[in-house]
Amino acid sequence: MRLFNAVRGGLSAGHPVSGTAALTGGAFVVIALLVLVPLANIAVELISDAGLEAVWDVFAGRIAENMLWRPLANTFAIGFAVALACVALGGVLAWLVTMTDLPLRRWIGVLAALPFMIPTFAVALAWTVVFADDRLGVDAAGMLVHLGVPVPAWLAWGGVPVALALIAHLYAIAYLMIASALVTVGRDLTAAAEIAGASRTRILRAIVFPVVTPSLIAAGALCFAEAVSSFSAPAILGLPVRFHTLATRAYGAIETGSPERGYVLITVMVVTAALFLALAAVLQRRGQSFATIGAQGGRRGRMALGRWRWPLAVAALSTVAATTILPTLVLLLSSVSTASGNPFATLTTHYWIGAADPAVAQGQAGILNNPQLVRATLVTLGVGLATGIAALAAALVVGLAIGRLRGGFLAGTLQQLAFLPLLIPGLAIGAACIGFYGAPIGPLPSLYGTPAILVIAGVAATLPFAVQSVVAARAQIAPTLEDSARVTGASPPRILAAITLPLALPKLIAGFVLVFVKMVRDLDLVILLYTPQLPLLTVIAFRYASDGFAQFAHAVTVVILLVSVLAHLAATGLGRAAQPWLRD
Amino acid sequence: MITKPLRLASGRAWSLAPLCALLFAAPAAAETPADLVAAAEAEGQVVVYSFTSRVFRVETAFEEAYPGIDLVPFDISSTEQIARIQAELGAGIQSADVAYLADAPVVFEALVEPGHLLPFVPPGFAERIPDAFETPLLAHRLSTKVLMYNEEAHPDGPPVDNLWQLTTEDWTGRVIMVDPSTRGDYLDLLTEIVLQSDAMAAAYEAQFGAPITLDADIANAGEQFIKDLLDNDVVFVASTDDVNVAVGAVGQENPPIGFTSYSDRRDNAEEGWALQVANAVAPAPGIIYPAFLGVLSNAPHPNAAELLITFLMGDESDTGGPALAPFYVPGDYLTRTDLAPHPDAIPLDDFNAWRIAPQATAALRQDVADLVLSLQ
Repeated sequence: MRLFNAVRGGLSAGHPVSGTAALTGGAFVVIALLVLVPLANIAVELISDAGLEAVWDVFAGRIAENMLWRPLANTFAIGFAVALACVALGGVLAWLVTMTDLPLRRWIGVLAALPFMIPTFAVALAWTVVFADDRLGVDAAGMLVHLGVPVPAWLAWGGVPVALALIAHLYAIAYLMIASALVTVGRDLTAAAEIAGASRTRILRAIVFPVVTPSLIAAGALCFAEAVSSFSAPAILGLPVRFHTLATRAYGAIETGSPERGYVLITVMVVTAALFLALAAVLQRRGQSFATIGAQGGRRGRMALGRWRWPLAVAALSTVAATTILPTLVLLLSSVSTASGNPFATLTTHYWIGAADPAVAQGQAGILNNPQLVRATLVTLGVGLATGIAALAAALVVGLAIGRLRGGFLAGTLQQLAFLPLLIPGLAIGAACIGFYGAPIGPLPSLYGTPAILVIAGVAATLPFAVQSVVAARAQIAPTLEDSARVTGASPPRILAAITLPLALPKLIAGFVLVFVKMVRDLDLVILLYTPQLPLLTVIAFRYASDGFAQFAHAVTVVILLVSVLAHLAATGLGRAAQPWLRD
Repeated sequence: MITKPLRLASGRAWSLAPLCALLFAAPAAAETPADLVAAAEAEGQVVVYSFTSRVFRVETAFEEAYPGIDLVPFDISSTEQIARIQAELGAGIQSADVAYLADAPVVFEALVEPGHLLPFVPPGFAERIPDAFETPLLAHRLSTKVLMYNEEAHPDGPPVDNLWQLTTEDWTGRVIMVDPSTRGDYLDLLTEIVLQSDAMAAAYEAQFGAPITLDADIANAGEQFIKDLLDNDVVFVASTDDVNVAVGAVGQENPPIGFTSYSDRRDNAEEGWALQVANAVAPAPGIIYPAFLGVLSNAPHPNAAELLITFLMGDESDTGGPALAPFYVPGDYLTRTDLAPHPDAIPLDDFNAWRIAPQATAALRQDVADLVLSLQ
């Protein structure tokens, strides 16, 4: 009953019930167990002879340049390029969809959110199918080479394609964040300015930019953090030209028996990302002083694009299609071709439904005919569902504690801590969890190789999203509703069932689906946690790709992509629940 | 606590055995003890970590011979197997039964000495396998990482006759190998080149007509070769299949050259490759090293594990029968002395690759790995 009261009290904004202290304590314990202790454990690993030696090797040894400094420079370059491009691209799209009379804007809006549901490695693999040059032999070359179009080396491998693949994935975040800020710009203000004869540039500069600046900075910072921590894109597109980032170096070190060196690099990654998010927070605070113009303005009057309407619509539609439909088609086509990147190769269904044939890929059957793949699909879905539920449960404790504390130092600290995983690379969370939960803790057995460790890492990584959905759910419920119910004599369970839950549910479901999709499509987080007995689709796709079984890799990737995108579309009613501005 | 990820484990459908298995349906090794078979069948399953994808063909053959036992194959590189087995035993997790792996320098120290991986020599085979290949683990065959070229593009023999030619302009960006930072066998290859510095120095002089001069910070001819190779834009890839496709694919006018397994030549016809070993290259084409079979100390199916290892040593026919069919290929040298050498392979005695010395290699590996890292 006490827990129930706590839940109810927490969900209804502002009715302190006894137990705030317990809830707050619980929230701190949850965050400590998920994030703080495992990370601290990595740092502790470094305070040992082997650890200190690794620190010296990585920072000052003869490997330092290639282990740390160059990968660090590459990581930064990618981070900045991706952040800037995502804010520009996402910002323009957000402006077009929310503020203008762009034709087809609903479709463009739905598609613009989808890349976030598509795994980075899917984009990276699709890139190789199209752009690979003959550096890995003519047979491994992509479609362009086969069509006789020369591909410059810098476009085939290395920093440029890595950055482009990440932009294609992450601009969706920038789009969503900036669009939700833009809809708070009173369109009556812009309409008034337009009537008064202000130019479009002036309207943008004087009214729109001040309102959205904080969201531009936040989106840029988040894209930066995601880009610097990405593993799969540089792993796939960087290796042939020895282009490394901190993430690929950390993975290589941990994988080949120098885990301490990997931990040093992971620590560098976390500190780097943290510094930039802190910097962004400072910038944002400055930006916010301009943000007072934002009004709950009317929804009338979209900016007329005039003769630019259709050219811009075509450009926007091409962009969103090129990052969603195109990679899907490329992977699908490759998965039914006897030679992955060769458009003239024979088509075959072997990689999907073929029986084992010793002449193909060492006798591996098509993925739908492969018990291991079927098992991997079940494990992946199971882990995704379990993580979704567990993340929401953890987020309820944290989110409700934040709500109950109603500001103040403790609430602020909790909020900061809950969002901490956003700036920790998935690879680092995986390494931290395996370091801490992979060994027996007192009487508790090791969780290594169990679904539990995947779920723990998943909850840790997705906590910010889950907490956000709980906070949003709380904000949805006006306290007066529950008050009136209570006054009219409704019992607490009835209030919960009739008012609180129905109102909170849509946001909670949205949060659940976001966590689920992130788990299903994520590779970075699980690459270190994976065991053969616990196969996951993303790892299998990555392994196939590194083993040279491209078509199998692409077929599995298409499955992941479909599961993620369909789950997102189904849960959001074709994306509209996630983007209320698409309704009008 | 050190743990590592694993490579793709993918099974194949067990329902459809290829027709050839029927053709090979020779009597399964007659001396396999009936009680071992019964005990293994009671266990019903055997889980294998294998560093070669040929484990999928073994699965077909094994399940043909023992329909009551499900072989669960996992294709995992030696490097990852070592890390995985250490982690799993450390965590007290029962996972695999049999490990089929190379990487002798690390395997002996990390897995055999602590007792994680136990030797098993099937009864009846001891006298047909040289003693050196029975301890500390049973060696199944000798595998290779050697220089391979495209024989379709070069019908008159290999386009190089000295390893140092790979450091010249002719081969800039056109020498392919798996990233030695991630794969122990390739690191062993580079380590052996450093250990064979005297031979490398002699080969240098034979190639360029002058004694080798070493760069600053470079200790010997082997290290100098590694540096020159990296300076010549050697291409690192993720798997040997990537090397095979790049080097071997038919229809190339000017194919690259690369280090891969001699035995991958077996797939030439099926995959459309023209791989051939450059055996005559000076001072040696690469390395030859043992691949081991061992039983994990906490194997959940110990009897099935022993049965599988017995099965993998082959039957009484000249070629070892269906179990050895995936391995009775040119480029693999089975340790059983009573088998007929493969007719199309270079006889072992004429094969010029260096045999690695596990202890010496183990002592130098990290140093060479760091050298490679420092040069990139």
